[in-house]
Amino acid sequence: MLKSIAKLASLAGALALITSVATARDLVINFDDLNPGPKKGFDDAVEAFRAAYPDINVIVNNTDREAHKTAIRNFLTNDAPDVTSWYPGNRMAPFVDAGLFADISDLWASDENLSSNFEAIKPTMTRDGKQWGVPYSYYQWGVYYRKDIFDKLNLAEPKTWDELLSACDVMTENGVTPFSIGTKFLWTAAGVFDYLNLRTNGYDVHNGLTAGEIKYTDDRIRATFANWATMLERCSFVKNHATMSWQEAIAPFANGDAAMYVMGNFAVDGFKNADLTEDQIDFFQFPEITPGLARAEEAPADALFIPAKAKNKEDARLFLSFVAQADIQSQWNKTIGQLPPNSAAAINEDDKFIVEGFATVSTAAGLAQFFDRDAPAAMAKAGMEGFQKFMLEPGSLDEILENLDKVQAEVY
Amino acid sequence: MASTASLRANRYQTASTTVALSAIVLIIALIGMFTFDVSWMVDNLGFTKRVDARVPSFFARFSCLIIALGAAFICFTNTSLYKRNKLTYAPWIFLFIGTAFFLIYVIIPIFQSISYSFTKWDGLYDINGFWTGEWVGLRNYVQLLDDPNFYTSLWNNILWLVLYMLAVPAGLGIALFLNQTVGGIRIYKSLFFFPFVISQVVVGLIFAWTYNPEFGLLSEVWGFFFCEQTTNIMGNLTTTCTVDPPSILGDPKYATYGIIAAGLWPQIAYCMILYLTGLNNVSPDQIEAGRLDNAKGWKMLWHIILPQLKPATFIAVVVTVIGALRSFDMVATMTQGGPFGSTNVLAYYMFDQAVGEGVGRYGYGSAIATVLFAIMLIYISYFLWRMYQDEKEGN
Repeated sequence: MLKSIAKLASLAGALALITSVATARDLVINFDDLNPGPKKGFDDAVEAFRAAYPDINVIVNNTDREAHKTAIRNFLTNDAPDVTSWYPGNRMAPFVDAGLFADISDLWASDENLSSNFEAIKPTMTRDGKQWGVPYSYYQWGVYYRKDIFDKLNLAEPKTWDELLSACDVMTENGVTPFSIGTKFLWTAAGVFDYLNLRTNGYDVHNGLTAGEIKYTDDRIRATFANWATMLERCSFVKNHATMSWQEAIAPFANGDAAMYVMGNFAVDGFKNADLTEDQIDFFQFPEITPGLARAEEAPADALFIPAKAKNKEDARLFLSFVAQADIQSQWNKTIGQLPPNSAAAINEDDKFIVEGFATVSTAAGLAQFFDRDAPAAMAKAGMEGFQKFMLEPGSLDEILENLDKVQAEVY
Repeated sequence: MASTASLRANRYQTASTTVALSAIVLIIALIGMFTFDVSWMVDNLGFTKRVDARVPSFFARFSCLIIALGAAFICFTNTSLYKRNKLTYAPWIFLFIGTAFFLIYVIIPIFQSISYSFTKWDGLYDINGFWTGEWVGLRNYVQLLDDPNFYTSLWNNILWLVLYMLAVPAGLGIALFLNQTVGGIRIYKSLFFFPFVISQVVVGLIFAWTYNPEFGLLSEVWGFFFCEQTTNIMGNLTTTCTVDPPSILGDPKYATYGIIAAGLWPQIAYCMILYLTGLNNVSPDQIEAGRLDNAKGWKMLWHIILPQLKPATFIAVVVTVIGALRSFDMVATMTQGGPFGSTNVLAYYMFDQAVGEGVGRYGYGSAIATVLFAIMLIYISYFLWRMYQDEKEGN
């Protein structure tokens, strides 16, 4: 019986093949953020695309971010969508190397908007000299601080390392812990390290380190850790940071026990949820350490990619060049409170963090993606464990650096 | 006479018809199993919009497989070979499904995992479905020997094994204490058994909160002695302590002990229930005889009760050792191996290296798994050998 069904099916299928070409232009997109803001930003962009191309049938699968990280490993080989969200930098490397993402260099070359307005972020999307995706958003990192505490102690935003250290001394004297941080999930410590290294050694050395060209026991990296040791001594972090997540570490910041927080712009939402008002919090760029060094910033981007197995690559490319447009990027990032990678796009002038963040990253000499996106995952894991260990046991620095060298030798 | 012959012929005919029919079904089902593809039908017949067709395809193929197995079963039971050797073949038919699943989910993965441990692989297949790893021989094992995190994990595993054993005497103690007949003893017994019923994840969370230096129960008690409420610069209440409360899970010196203590709580309950059932079977005659010989207290416990509890002790030790080696969920919920890997155990370190946070060192993770398997194998062999000896002695 089953055989006859199969026979019938194949007969009808053959007929269908002859009589009609692909019936509908289906475009399947896998996205990875269910939080209300990001979901709305994405959905609006899809709606705009539907309006512009009514004959394309867009199908959206939106899943939770962590689930997406697991699922992508399967769906890229088994049942690929036409477009998927993922991260650039080294996070895309395994998929690029396994040939699972489609090369879209020709799109970057032929699309006028992509070729002219994405210069700053293009290197992040590039691997082996080719481009693999289109970024839709990025955000700045820096120091978020309690403006009311700074005012009370007559402190100004520190511009240099010495200013920061003396500001910390004032805070400590007044019973305020300078920095809040929660290192339970490790990556927050990498933010501090990245900035210390970018300010001590500059973008090229930092890049060389995460690319595996410079050893951790290098004197320049040791200088970074020496500055970190100074920071631990004079600009100390909250106690018990090893048991807290970054969200839990907002509590001492909101309570006024700690005055500063090295974080990405997504944290502003968390601060506001902890009943801090816009007037109480503000942002400054991580202060200069080595004078005269070109200022590089941390600015992780989120991007969209086309799987190599996508069924409808033509329309997928259409979608990518559509979301790269200035007006779409402006609207999307206004909704999610982040920065548009398109340099021709407008930013949300009403959001002081976005305005300051844009000023910070658009004038930066180089943009780092974040330690765990710049370094391969296995190196990032070991590195971040090392950073946490250093924060808890600064005395074991040599041991930490030697171990990181060992991991580095294995991973690259 | 004639009627019996025709009956026999008739029966033969029925049997051969059944066999023929089942053979046809078997062939169709086998073809269906390999060719049935709902996504193809969906794509080419325009049934619906594009959906995930793998699930219906899987079920269609799985049904074909079941039908094929059934047909094969009918064919086989109708052969004269089977009819002549029923006693030899019948057990295997019953064992077939169980054996198949055991092979697919336990035995084959063990060998797969061992074979991956000689490769470098990030867990990905390329676009054609080919495996992307490379053969590196013993390199993963050489790296293991030089990896401080591996030694930390191994040491923590030993700590777990040793300290987890406390559950056995503790469980015995509570069982002896509860082995009395007073009103409502069943309620007390259930209360003591309670921690074993809650999920390990919940136990982990409860203990993590208890240990939390900011708001945990432990810090509250600590605060009563060493801390006072003050107002900070912003006029908010804050706590200042003369001696800071211990950050148990944030301090590499205490973190593993903190997790083991959490693990012991349900494990003690488990051992207790094993001993309680064991105590039910202690023969009153022997206790009586012991009394006559003037045994009491420790002597009674050591010479009369404990020997009779030997089977319970054996099982308690077995489940405790296995529990200690599997101590994965506690570590995962309480610290994720942190701070800086100091609470890793082999099982968690393996998970962390292979699938955790996209680290993707499947080869290295498999090497850790193989080491853990080797350790377990020593223990399992001993256990099986003991069982075999007991069987041989016939008790």
